[in-house]
Amino acid sequence: MTDVCPPYAPFFGFAGVAASMVFSTVGAAYGTAKSGIGITGLGQFRPELIMKSLIPVVMSGIIAVYGLVVSVLISGRIIPGKYSLFAGFIHLAAGLACGFTGMAAGYAIGIVGDACVRAYVYESKVFVTMILILIFAEVLGLYGLIVALILDTLTNGVTC
Amino acid sequence: TRSVLVKLALFTVCLGLAPISTYYLSQKYLWDGNSTYAAITSIIAANFVLVTYIISAVRDDSQSQKPAPKAESETKKDR
Repeated sequence: MTDVCPPYAPFFGFAGVAASMVFSTVGAAYGTAKSGIGITGLGQFRPELIMKSLIPVVMSGIIAVYGLVVSVLISGRIIPGKYSLFAGFIHLAAGLACGFTGMAAGYAIGIVGDACVRAYVYESKVFVTMILILIFAEVLGLYGLIVALILDTLTNGVTC
Repeated sequence: TRSVLVKLALFTVCLGLAPISTYYLSQKYLWDGNSTYAAITSIIAANFVLVTYIISAVRDDSQSQKPAPKAESETKKDR
């Protein structure tokens, strides 16, 4: 082990892997649960609208997929013995970026999905509005993914 | 109804399988080991499943709405 690749460097890398998966799943869980409350409310009055109103739930799933992809990407880079501390810090940043933006996106999707699905019972033109707002909320998670991907490409330069 | 449940189960399985499988398959066969491009490909696949779900839900709704006005117009003609 050298100074550039100390033995505790994978700690930060794996912390990034865990942070990416865990925090984006927290966001996706909140989004699914909150919009699920609204969907069960809608399902009591208009059961034929349930397929369309499940869209916030599917979008929350996509947020969790963003976290999963970043986790898999980072964990593929960690090689025992040849992992630099610089790469460890980069992967910690990438994991935290994807995780917390996923949490923010899931939170937004949950609240918007709940409110819009409840309004959809009374006014059917709310559907397009709901889709637009949900797309903007989802893009927040996508920004975190993009930052994580760009950060990950910076690990190519350093060798032990 | 049964067909809605089958459709939802199918989309759930797709949303679970598509990103991971496209990541590993595209990394191996398409991008020659470059994992960044493989990640981008898997995100495109996941969003493709999402868009397919939205289109399928909207079409399902418009199809179930069409026969009702048609039956109404026929009863008006019979009068």
